[in-house]
Amino acid sequence: MKPGYNSTVKKDVHFQVNNQQVSYSGNPSARMADVLREDLQQTGTKISCGVGRCGACSILVDGELMNACLLMPCQVEGSSITTIEGIGSKEAMDPIQEAFLTEGGFQCGYCTPGMIVAAKALLNQNSDPSITDIQEALAGNLCRCTGYASIIRAVRKAAEVLNVQAANEKS
Amino acid sequence: MPLKNDGKIRPDGIEKVTGSLKYLTDRRMEGMLYGRVLRSHYPHALIKSIHTKDAEELPGVKAVITAADVPGLNGFGIVTPNQPVFCEEKVRYMGDAVAAVAAVSKEAAEEALDKIIVEYEELPILDTMEKSLAKEAAELHKEGNILHRAEQKRGSAEEAFASCDVVVEETYETPRQMHTYMETEGGVVVPEKNGGITVYMGTQHGLKDRFQLSRILQMEEENIRVVSSPMGGSFGGKDELNVQPYAALLALKTGKPVHIHNSRKESVRAGIKRHAMKIKMKTGADREGKLLAHQTYIEADTGAYATLGPAILEFAVEHASGPYDIENVHTKGLSIYTNNGVAGEFRGFGGNQITFALEGQISRLAAALNMDLHDFQAANMRKNESPGPLGHRIAPTNGGLLVLEAAERIRKEKEAELKEKQPPGKYIKRGIGTAVTMHGGGLGYGRLDPSGGMIRLNREGKIEGVFGFEECGQGIVAVIENTLVQAFECRREDVCFLIGDTEKVPVSGSTTASRGTSMVHHAVQRLKPLFQQQLFERAAALLDKSPADFYTGKGGLYKFETREQAITYRELAEAFPEKTLEVQTTFDFPVTPDEIDSGHFLYTFGSVVVEIEIDMRLGVVRVIDLQHAVAAGPVVNPKGYRGQVEGGGVMSIGYSLMENAAMTNGQYDTDNLDTYMIPSIQDAPAEMKVEAIEDLYENDQYGPRGVGEIGTVAVAPAIAEAVFQAIGTHITSIPISREILMKLGRKENRYEARV
Repeated sequence: MKPGYNSTVKKDVHFQVNNQQVSYSGNPSARMADVLREDLQQTGTKISCGVGRCGACSILVDGELMNACLLMPCQVEGSSITTIEGIGSKEAMDPIQEAFLTEGGFQCGYCTPGMIVAAKALLNQNSDPSITDIQEALAGNLCRCTGYASIIRAVRKAAEVLNVQAANEKS
Repeated sequence: MPLKNDGKIRPDGIEKVTGSLKYLTDRRMEGMLYGRVLRSHYPHALIKSIHTKDAEELPGVKAVITAADVPGLNGFGIVTPNQPVFCEEKVRYMGDAVAAVAAVSKEAAEEALDKIIVEYEELPILDTMEKSLAKEAAELHKEGNILHRAEQKRGSAEEAFASCDVVVEETYETPRQMHTYMETEGGVVVPEKNGGITVYMGTQHGLKDRFQLSRILQMEEENIRVVSSPMGGSFGGKDELNVQPYAALLALKTGKPVHIHNSRKESVRAGIKRHAMKIKMKTGADREGKLLAHQTYIEADTGAYATLGPAILEFAVEHASGPYDIENVHTKGLSIYTNNGVAGEFRGFGGNQITFALEGQISRLAAALNMDLHDFQAANMRKNESPGPLGHRIAPTNGGLLVLEAAERIRKEKEAELKEKQPPGKYIKRGIGTAVTMHGGGLGYGRLDPSGGMIRLNREGKIEGVFGFEECGQGIVAVIENTLVQAFECRREDVCFLIGDTEKVPVSGSTTASRGTSMVHHAVQRLKPLFQQQLFERAAALLDKSPADFYTGKGGLYKFETREQAITYRELAEAFPEKTLEVQTTFDFPVTPDEIDSGHFLYTFGSVVVEIEIDMRLGVVRVIDLQHAVAAGPVVNPKGYRGQVEGGGVMSIGYSLMENAAMTNGQYDTDNLDTYMIPSIQDAPAEMKVEAIEDLYENDQYGPRGVGEIGTVAVAPAIAEAVFQAIGTHITSIPISREILMKLGRKENRYEARV
């Protein structure tokens, strides 16, 4: 039997997903991407390569960008996870989501949740990213449809909107 | 003018950016089982025996199936169904299916695969076209090792070479490219109470999948429902069946829904790719720069099975002389079976390979004649009413000259910009390159290519466009919405669409061959007067007026007399709750009137201008800028148009510089995205421009053409030309080898690379 299959080891792990407390009881070395998609039905997090190259499964763990396909429940004890579902909803979208929408920064949409999560991680740390900053921050997220130019337009637009919002809040 | 943002949001957008869209692979059902397919251990072998007993006895395993469990035809293939669902006697490539399992968990299914014992007797591997063509080669199929031959002849190229002042001869090689849709193949198949099934799996032609499944399952088509949209990308790669037959057979055997979602590794191993081609060309011109003769010989590695290999070869043969008027053309092609991965339909459909070669010849000839490339192209560019590349009649068009002139304008602007730029470092070479192409839309003469659609006023009072097209990401849903809004001059919220469900949609044909946008336009133009007439008659009856008193507008019908709203669409729907207002049409994609196999009728044109920098120390080519001019008629959906062309362009930067699904001994050298490299955001130009030339030639009634493919076709030759402009060397194969560039750099700069 290959290691890990039908693992009878179970472990209780506690963490938060999109501000909801989760008590997970199961294989501590499962893929977090599967835990999110299968156990918690949060299917916005996608699986594409499964080896941490494409970024379709990008999530934030305590604000830090990570690939959920390379992460295990035993590594997130006590952590706070944000998935695309926690970034915004249909009714209340994040400005980044709105910018992807209006700039056409997506086509098939399969890389989009991960791309937006990665953009969120960038803009949380850098409110006025240059093109090079954007290219570095999103280098771990592959998109086969857009050719990326519209994604860059979207992230720049989102930064603009967020900066205007921040300025308005100050004044 | 380059395309700009029109501010419109595509109808599936909000669900996509919020991650709430359920893809078919995201579906989970009560009592669902997980399916897995056992693929061949060898690229070429006889199957001596298959033992499934150990696997069947594992806890959690609900079914193990092999060829014996296929009730109907044990084969698939859109035209020639010669790929076995399950191999029985022989395997011909590493992706061949031998057995499949369904189990209560993914882990149990995986374990069951390990317990299936297959005994093979290895056969010699035909892993190159050369080996397959050798006299002593084993025959991979009963018709031999040649899937298809295609030839076209006009004038006498062989004789005309004698009167040429310059002749260039070259052999070009292009790689096997992987589609790399981000969502790998899969979904769920559900057994239904009536004995039928519902297939929730992506494809580019739901009705065709239904037909193929019916043949395999020996089940009436009416009992098979295929829900096939949306998809996380396809690019031609999900046009053929993939895992549908396995999930369907397992669902029928177990009576439970069966979910299969290919891992990336399995997708690489079993999925189709773009044909690797070897293309020999000999082309001659007189000293004034007139092309006189063009001879082409194509060998396409089609892998183990047919799928659409013959049509792809014919497309390449058709486009061998591209947009140029050449009197003497002779083109021959072979599509050759090997034990390599199956090659099949992929965005561009043989056009990308042949255009790389053709534009390479044009560049070499221009250089040999000491002519400016643009002047040479312009001198030979087809005229408005020139025949098509097979000598056949096509819709008259001046697209070729228009995109060529646009490219020349852009090139000159860029050249001026470069003069202003800081000179690059000592080891960096800059170059600007251009290329031009012509690309046929639709399936071509002699192929069944029906289309059609339906418009209804649904119960909610929305004008609903119903089509058998599929949404792969390209934005057909936005095309449908925009086309309806424009036709009825109504609001966005007055319309909706229904696609991707064989139980509900009419025949529209495949969502391939850049035909979707064009066919939606044609269908709506036909349906518009019929639908309006019915709306007007209803309104006339309700309001005691004449049907001629109304026109359609925002939210409902208006009176000509007062310009006021007479009745809303909703009221019109509610007034006749039991009688849906619905009109339908069927027609064929326009083809040439000349009886010439595969001849297309509607062509689009594209030109590409690239700026590159080559680091001669590393042999790395960076694309700094990529601009397109496309002549494909009116733009229906500006963001979609731009997105398709920009995205297609970057996909082809990958094709030109980094992508090659190379194989050794019949096995892929790469099995995932960490080794098969597609362009990342750092490999693509940050800003790109797409110029849409919307004017059609006088009296052209065919409206907008699709642009799903055109942006991919001429990028590789433009990059090759830019390399030539930068360092004076013509490259012959893609992806452009770093080693060759490094060697050139070393020679020129007289430094030794540290090894």
